[in-house]
Amino acid sequence: MKILKSWLNDWIDIENISNSDISEALESLGFEIENKKELNPNYENIVVGKVLEVYEHPNADKVRITKTDVGNNIYEIVCGAWNFDVGAVVPVALPNSEIKDNFKIDKRDIRGIQSNGMICSASELDLWDDHDGILLLDDKLLPGTDFSTIYSSNDFIWEVGVTPNRGDCMSYLGIARELSGYFNKKLKTKKSNLKPTISNILNAGSGKIKECNSYGSVEIENFNVTNSSFEMRYRLTQVGTRIINNVVDITNYILYDIGQPLHAFDRDKLFGTISVRKAKNNEKITTLDSQVRKLDSNDLVITDNDKPIALAGVMGGLETEVSETTTNLLIESAYFDKVSIMKTSRKLNLISDASIRFERGIDYKIQRYGLERFLMELKDNQAINYSEINVDDKGNLKNKKVILKYSEIKKLLGIDLKESFIKKVLKFLMIDSEVNKESVKFTPPSWRYDLDRPVDLIEEFAKHYGFNNFESTLPQGVHKNNKGSYWDLKSYLSSVLTSNNFQEVQTLSFVNNDKNFLFNPEKKYVEIFNAIDQSSKFMRSNLMSSLIDVYKLNYDQNNLSNSYFEINTVFDTSKNKIYEDVPNQNIVLGFLTSSTLSNTDTRLKDHELDLYYVKNILTQLLSSYDLEPITKPGFHQNYSFSIIKNGQIIGHFGQLASETQMTLEFKNEIYLGEIYINKLKLNNLKEINYVPLSQYPFVKFDLSFSVPIDLSAHLLVDEINELLTENENSIEIFDDFQQENSRNLGIRIITRSYEKTYDDNETREILMNISETLESKFNITLNSSKND
Amino acid sequence: MPEVNTDKIFAAFLLRLEEVAQIEDFDDIEKEFLGKNSLLSEERKSLSSLNEVSRKKYGKLLQGLANNITSKLEEEKTTFKSKFFIQKELNDNKDISIDWYKNLGSKNHVLTNVMNEVVDIFAAIGYTVATGPEAETSWHNFDALNTPDWHPARYESDTLYLDNKLEKLLRTQTSTVQVRHMQNNNPPVYIVAPGRVYRSDQLDATHSPVFHQIEGLAVDQNLTFSDLKGTLEYFVKEFFGKDLKTKFIPHFFPFTEPSAEVLVSWKDGEWLEILGCGMVDPNVFKHVGYDTDSQGFAFGVGVERLAMIRYGIDHIKNFYENDLRFLRQF
Repeated sequence: MKILKSWLNDWIDIENISNSDISEALESLGFEIENKKELNPNYENIVVGKVLEVYEHPNADKVRITKTDVGNNIYEIVCGAWNFDVGAVVPVALPNSEIKDNFKIDKRDIRGIQSNGMICSASELDLWDDHDGILLLDDKLLPGTDFSTIYSSNDFIWEVGVTPNRGDCMSYLGIARELSGYFNKKLKTKKSNLKPTISNILNAGSGKIKECNSYGSVEIENFNVTNSSFEMRYRLTQVGTRIINNVVDITNYILYDIGQPLHAFDRDKLFGTISVRKAKNNEKITTLDSQVRKLDSNDLVITDNDKPIALAGVMGGLETEVSETTTNLLIESAYFDKVSIMKTSRKLNLISDASIRFERGIDYKIQRYGLERFLMELKDNQAINYSEINVDDKGNLKNKKVILKYSEIKKLLGIDLKESFIKKVLKFLMIDSEVNKESVKFTPPSWRYDLDRPVDLIEEFAKHYGFNNFESTLPQGVHKNNKGSYWDLKSYLSSVLTSNNFQEVQTLSFVNNDKNFLFNPEKKYVEIFNAIDQSSKFMRSNLMSSLIDVYKLNYDQNNLSNSYFEINTVFDTSKNKIYEDVPNQNIVLGFLTSSTLSNTDTRLKDHELDLYYVKNILTQLLSSYDLEPITKPGFHQNYSFSIIKNGQIIGHFGQLASETQMTLEFKNEIYLGEIYINKLKLNNLKEINYVPLSQYPFVKFDLSFSVPIDLSAHLLVDEINELLTENENSIEIFDDFQQENSRNLGIRIITRSYEKTYDDNETREILMNISETLESKFNITLNSSKND
Repeated sequence: MPEVNTDKIFAAFLLRLEEVAQIEDFDDIEKEFLGKNSLLSEERKSLSSLNEVSRKKYGKLLQGLANNITSKLEEEKTTFKSKFFIQKELNDNKDISIDWYKNLGSKNHVLTNVMNEVVDIFAAIGYTVATGPEAETSWHNFDALNTPDWHPARYESDTLYLDNKLEKLLRTQTSTVQVRHMQNNNPPVYIVAPGRVYRSDQLDATHSPVFHQIEGLAVDQNLTFSDLKGTLEYFVKEFFGKDLKTKFIPHFFPFTEPSAEVLVSWKDGEWLEILGCGMVDPNVFKHVGYDTDSQGFAFGVGVERLAMIRYGIDHIKNFYENDLRFLRQF
């Protein structure tokens, strides 16, 4: 909400309080200052002028020439607007002045005629948007009067956030009430004696429904729809409201001034009894914005005998709108139920200044005052007649009594408050209360809905005590530096990957269907009901598509790297095994690397990575695991594996399908995979199995076997380990040479006994045993052996 | 018995030394003058045929020669070696100004770093990390947090829903973890919950549909507003530095009361909001099945905001584009 200092001064004397003190007050009262600025327009050399003559321009049709009295001179000024005539009193920007957007005004030749300045519209003076042409000023103003003296040009404006619990502060009255407590200054009143001169011709009431607690109205006759006052237009413009006409402007003005939304009907378009009811299903009304609204039985409408005339609390009906020809009015001032208005407003996506006030809750006792204030704004208008104000109040609303024990204050805030302080705050807040030795019994005022529990009042005490006046103490939990298993695991995995040149990324969780389908065609995806963007309305079911995007982006950018990982959540619609009632979601570590860097130079050309490199990364991450070939969508037919640890599948990895690689126009092979974090235990990853060191010399064999293409070499290694199980061993594959259908596998065995030094015979025996066992068990042939 | 001219041999040896070109040449020279087939060795073999006096005398002479050659050889070899390696190293001319080993990606994402740091700060005073689902029920995201269906605050955050009944959603705040944690654990509770949250915002300079928060919750006997204040002042000082001033201003969150925002005085004296906090509302305790006179505080901090403030990052989009030019800087 925007707060204009001059307007606020209507309610509380703050003219002499500095802007920075007011800012501090607003902030400490809980109004977040979103913006603030000094209004200090430059009206130097802008004066009041009186138009003495108007005549045609000899060389132009669209402009006229005026002779205008600007006080000490009479100037010829060319003007393009036509909404004035001789005798008009207007603002004149004299030569050497500046108007809106720092536009300089000087003597200027306009088609052969020298124009000595410019006659201005409201918009050109940065007052308000006005398309009617020149701003017409009060006839009584003397030519030459400095414009800045008739317009409160020095002002200050704050834009503050009002929290949703404080509907009462969405008006000048509400803000002033808070500040009056803070500065200990009296709230001013706005009252006048009203003298009704006509009787009502319409009946108006709040109907039978509880959603309208009270309905007030007043009828006005002989009204002239025109511009509202200069000051009102200025104020409304500053708070961001569009200027319409005096009727609508005043209703808006009262809304901002005291927080009571008003609505004006053209009385001559109404018949019979004005009342409130729930709409019928599929009932229609055309609202002021010319939209046809289809209603249901949750919406409230105002009706006359024939028809719905307004969508209660949200927007008026077009048919009964006040127009330029309107002369008789019915002004409505009602209290509608918060929830009902909110639901209608959200459903129709129609949010108005009125609806946001009703839904937060307006003062349930100011409906009559709202109408009085409307009439007070017309007090200078001698011509009008008005009726009695009629308020039909069901009296259902009443704030209940609450008891707050002082011990509760001490318990929550940790401080003892003096009784005098408590009394002072209660007085500031205009709260009815009985203060006792141990407790205070209070009834919140009619505008405060947020004070219905003891804790609500404690908050008020804390606020007025000043948050920054509290002591600071630091409580500590029992288990220090225990981040928990999830965080430790995540940090461990990240540290392994980052020390292997993998870069961590964070990508958005929304994807299109294709990105899920590429790797998870078997799953059903979680869809966002009100997605921001239809092209990414699904929650991702894998991280690999996102990593491919990151790879591609950086590849295209020539950024030198090829290894990425991300730890985040993936989603699908299957049953969630941990949390009830929500879609399945798991935290996954996704990783990707490609065979070469995007931007290689001669020195780095042997930086070629392959499947075995990724396997080594897995070993660093997981310490021990098994791989099992699987067929997985999106992956190479032969290079796709389940990762198995402690008997369960904990992830998968492989090479991106060649066809996909081609479709994505990647020159390099892509290796990628995922590990399901919730299936890992950090202890298992850091497992340490100490093997004592043998004190005896080693024997070493290099064996070369002729083996089938599809033999898993690891089986041979396992078998040898089994045969030498009593020893300390190191068994490595050192060669795998494949040519057409033949394949040679080189295995290096280094083994040490824990008991003795092997002699030549024993060494030969070991070799024989290994080669014979392997040959018979795997049906392979030993080509050669070397031992040293 | 003719004696060899040792001077001549030594002179020949010196001449050979002058021809040395590489370190191996010393071995050849040694072989030539001291080896099995060298003149010296030949002469030594003939010593046995001499009488004792001559043998002693001649033997001494030959030994003298051998010693001279050996020591000269060692000397020359040492000189040569040092000269040789000096020369060799002088010929090594790598231009160290070139970075052949490029700075490949090898870092955590800046948001992860910030989250790690915040977690570390709170772990030091006894907080543990808690987690919860990102696709949540509306009950956990709103109702349990004292934001019932009719509450205006429910509509201020632009929620992404997962069904037309609006019963499931993408959590708009990590406060949901508070609820989940309290449902399953009794006090005392000291947790922080870092994680992703979602809003219906287009990605631009200051908004992102995905961002990160860290929620904190402490429930224990006798926790007061002063404890909340002290805890967050401790955090701000640990994270931003000891000299930074903080202030607390009243605010509103449905799930805390009193509620506050914490501001820090940044460069050029500007006050920046960095987190929201408050004493847990009794209704929240009721919803999670705690005694309603339980007491504690909660706070929430935006991870992107912390990173943007600390490093002066201008565009929230940078966090999610993952351009290495950005990621490598942190």
